[in-house]
Amino acid sequence: MPETSSLFWVAAVTVVIWVGLFSYCLYLHARVRRLEEGE
Amino acid sequence: MLGEALAVLAKELRSELRSRVALNAILLFALTTLVAVAYQIGPYRIHEEDRPHLLAALLWIILFFAATSGLSRVFVKEEDAHTAKTLRLAARPGAVFAGKFAFNLLLLAVLEVLIVPLFCVLLGYSVAGPLGLAVLLAAGSVALAAVATMVAAIIARASGSGTLFAVLTVPLALPLLVMLIQGTRAAAGSAEVAAVLPALRGIVSLAGVTLVSSAFLFPVVWHD
Amino acid sequence: MTRLSNILVWILGAWLAVVCWAAFHYAPTAQGFVGESARIVFFHVPQAWVAVVAFCVNLVASIRYLRTRNPLDDARAAAAAGLGLLFSILATATGSIFAKVMWGSFWNWDPREVSIAILLLVYAAYFALRQSVADEERRGTLAAAYAVLAFVTMPFLVFVVPRIYWSLHPDTIINTSGTIKMESRMLQVLLGSVAGFTGLFAWLYSLNVRLARIALRRRQREEG
Repeated sequence: MPETSSLFWVAAVTVVIWVGLFSYCLYLHARVRRLEEGE
Repeated sequence: MLGEALAVLAKELRSELRSRVALNAILLFALTTLVAVAYQIGPYRIHEEDRPHLLAALLWIILFFAATSGLSRVFVKEEDAHTAKTLRLAARPGAVFAGKFAFNLLLLAVLEVLIVPLFCVLLGYSVAGPLGLAVLLAAGSVALAAVATMVAAIIARASGSGTLFAVLTVPLALPLLVMLIQGTRAAAGSAEVAAVLPALRGIVSLAGVTLVSSAFLFPVVWHD
Repeated sequence: MTRLSNILVWILGAWLAVVCWAAFHYAPTAQGFVGESARIVFFHVPQAWVAVVAFCVNLVASIRYLRTRNPLDDARAAAAAGLGLLFSILATATGSIFAKVMWGSFWNWDPREVSIAILLLVYAAYFALRQSVADEERRGTLAAAYAVLAFVTMPFLVFVVPRIYWSLHPDTIINTSGTIKMESRMLQVLLGSVAGFTGLFAWLYSLNVRLARIALRRRQREEG
């Protein structure tokens, strides 16, 4: 079943990349904020 | 400045002829690999339709890795012998680069003159356009020597290890290698020099671009 | 300032979510591809694009560092290179997954595939070089020199070699006639995704630079 499996791969990759990157950005954002306020 | 560069080249040649470290490394590596390959493969093992790509690729693998083993120490040996400071005082950066580059180019020339005919004989590689191949080899050597000399200068100021040299050179040399293999296939397949022109254009521009950038980058890296 | 940056973060998040939805529902199914696999282009192309953008940012920062020797410029170069490494890994991985779905094998030696992999090698080599130098100023100088050298040799792989070679890469965007053959809705989503990923890169980059600035200031205070 090429259709479902390929959609699955694409969706899986999307979720991992999007959510992963964005969460990392948010984490860094909070950390930089804290450090800059601490100065 | 030409005089200074020639003086640097002369010094390199003299010290190399005395110890023959780089020359031995290069030739030994190339001959060992060539014999190992030739023994296993010989002129008859590869099918006719695969011969053009495989033989061109094999030739350049041998040449390239031999070059990597022999060209990397051209600046490190100065640091090791503590002659680097003297060289900085004695000659302008441009002259130092030019002299070392010429030395590496000569090493490559010797390597190619010895190995390429041997390769063709041992593996039964019939080259239809030897003139095209010679032009390609010349241009490729200039480009490879340029990249290798610049990277050698960088690593001499870093850890100086041969591994680092290989790690840094591979990404830069891959486009060159691909173009050279393509060009060699073209030269082997056709007697016209025009066949190698597409690859040749790419190689010459790469060589030019590398030399021009090295003119700017080398003094910065060389400066203490 | 913080209010503005928070608003921007929300906008970026919303934008990316919309692009995500659009990639699956708004864009039509592409012809000639296995199932829905072509949708990966909405993620793969922007990642490759960002990897190249990072390369350019790194180049600019490297050149500035060579001129000013300001440690912040070196931090900028390193930050850009780190992100470039990340995005080239992502681009290679998504390209590989597409290749698996489309042609059944993860790697096909298509020139464009190879060029993104080589960009990855350049970044890896860049960091290997940085790690092998202890002195800060020398590290920055050598890394910057290598970055410039890599930048001038890259175009050959990306632009010259594919002209010599036939390519497996779908010619949806760059083709010989130069016109954009993609369906307009797909193009909209693609451009939206490129904008989103570029925004993500800009955000990550500025965060990394700010972190580096804080670390530098802290060190200066300790020394001063």
